[in-house]
Amino acid sequence: MKNALWTNLFKGWQNTESQTVMTLKQVPIFRGLTNKEFREIEKLIHERTYKPQEIIFKQQARGEGMYIILSGEVEIYLEDDKGNKNILAVLRDGEFFGELSLLDAEERSATAAATKNTILLGFFRPDLLSLMERNAELGNKILLNLARVTSARLRKTNELLTEAQKS
Amino acid sequence: MLVFAFLFTSVLLPSVDYLERKIKSRGLSVLIITVALCATLVVFLGSFAANFFEQASSFSSRLNEEHTMDNLNMFMEKIMDAMPNFVSEFKPDEAALAAKLQDIVKGVIQNLLTFAGKVGGFIFTSIMVIIFTIILLHEYHNFKRSLVRFIPNKYFEVGLRLIFNIERQISSYLRGQLLAASSVGIMSIIGLFILNLMGANLTLIVFIGIIAGLANLIPLVGPFVGMIPAILIAVMNNLGNEAAMNHYLFGVIPSWFYIFDIALMFLIVQQIDNNFVTPILVGESVGLHPIMVIIALLIGGTLLGPLGMLFAVPAAGVIKVVLQEISFVTKNAHLL
Repeated sequence: MKNALWTNLFKGWQNTESQTVMTLKQVPIFRGLTNKEFREIEKLIHERTYKPQEIIFKQQARGEGMYIILSGEVEIYLEDDKGNKNILAVLRDGEFFGELSLLDAEERSATAAATKNTILLGFFRPDLLSLMERNAELGNKILLNLARVTSARLRKTNELLTEAQKS
Repeated sequence: MLVFAFLFTSVLLPSVDYLERKIKSRGLSVLIITVALCATLVVFLGSFAANFFEQASSFSSRLNEEHTMDNLNMFMEKIMDAMPNFVSEFKPDEAALAAKLQDIVKGVIQNLLTFAGKVGGFIFTSIMVIIFTIILLHEYHNFKRSLVRFIPNKYFEVGLRLIFNIERQISSYLRGQLLAASSVGIMSIIGLFILNLMGANLTLIVFIGIIAGLANLIPLVGPFVGMIPAILIAVMNNLGNEAAMNHYLFGVIPSWFYIFDIALMFLIVQQIDNNFVTPILVGESVGLHPIMVIIALLIGGTLLGPLGMLFAVPAAGVIKVVLQEISFVTKNAHLL
C-alpha cells in the first residue's frame, strides 16, 4: 500500500512534460531554451481548437503572432478574386506558420485554414513584447532563433529566385 | 473594491515584472512590492495623523486664548475694508462669530467620531483590496490567458490586439500621471520651503506637497484642491502673527497669512507641470482632445463624484481604443 504522505511529497519530482512543451521543443524558434524557460513560455501559449474548413486567419488581415500545430492539419493558400485557391503548403503536427507576425503587425501574406479537427498553439507578439520586458535573456534567445529562421527562409528564397532567373 | 485592486495592479504591474526579471521569482516580487507599499503607506498615514493631531491641538489651545478673537476680528476688518461698502454692512458681531466658531469645532468633533466609526469598515475594505491586488499581481498573466480563452476563433487576434492596446493605454497613462504627480509634489514641497524662508510659518510641508501631488491626479480640479490644505495651515499657524496678517505680496498686493503667496506658488508649480513636465511624461499617452477631457470629467464627476473624475480620463481613453478597434473591424469585416 502506498504511503499518501510520501506519494504527495515526491509528486513534483516526476517532472512530466506536457504535450505543449514537447511540441514547443520541436519548433526552431524555441531552440536552446532550458526546461524552466519552456515552462515560462507555456504560460504565454494560447491553445485554440479549430473545426475542418475553419479559417485561422485571412490573407491581408493584420497579423498578431505565430501558430504551432499540436494536432491536425492546416492548409496555407492564396485566393484570387474569383475564389480560386492556390495551395502553398499543407502543414501537420509540430509544424508552425505566421512567425513573421511576431516581429511586426503587417498584413498576412496568405490565408490559413484547418482541414481537419485541429488544435493549435498560438504565440503572440504582445506576449513576446511583455516577456522581453520581464525576462530579456529569454526574449533575446527567442528573437535570435526567429532571426535564424527568417534568414534561412530568405536564403532559400534567394536560391529559388536565382534558379528561376537561370531557367 | 475590485476596481481599486485593478487600479493598483495596473500601477504596480511594471514594478513586479521588473523585480521578477531581477530575482526570477514572481511570488517573492509580489510580496516585496506589496510589503514595501504597505509599509510606506502605514509610515505616511501614521506620521500624518500624529502631526495633524499635534497641529489641531496646538490650534485649539490657541483658539482658547482671548486675543485670538481680537485677531480674527482684525482679520475680518481687513477683509471688510478691502470690500466695497455695501459688503462691509454685513459685518457680524463678536458673539455671533464666537458662536459660529463653537459650532464649527463641535461639528469637527462629531465628524471625527463618525470617522472613527467608519475606520473598521475602511480597514476591512483595505485588507480585501490588498488581498485582491496580491492575487491579481501574481496571477495577472494567467488570468489574462483564461479571459482570452473565451474569445471566438474569428475574433481571436482582434481581441488580443484590443486587450494589448487597452493595457498599454491604461499603464502608460497611469505611469505618466504618477510621475507628473510626483513632480508636482516635489515642486510644491520646494515652493513651500521657500515660502517658509520668507516667513510664511508653514508646517507639515511634506504632507501638503504629497496631498497636492495626489490631488493633481484629478485633471483641472486637482490643482485647486491641492492648495487648500496649505492655505488652511497658513491661517492656523499665523493667527496672532502681526507680520503675517500685514504681509504684502511683492510689497503691493495685500496677502493676509501669505494666502496669495501660496496661491501664486501653486500657480507657478502648475504652469511648470502643464507646460514642461506633463507634456514630456504623459505626452500623447491618451491622445484625447482637451474638449473630450472636459466632457469626460463632467460625466465622471456627475456620475461618481471625485472618484469618477479620477477615472474619467483613462476610461475615456479605453473607450477611444475600443471604438478605434470596432471601426477597424467594421471596415475590414471581410478579413475576419
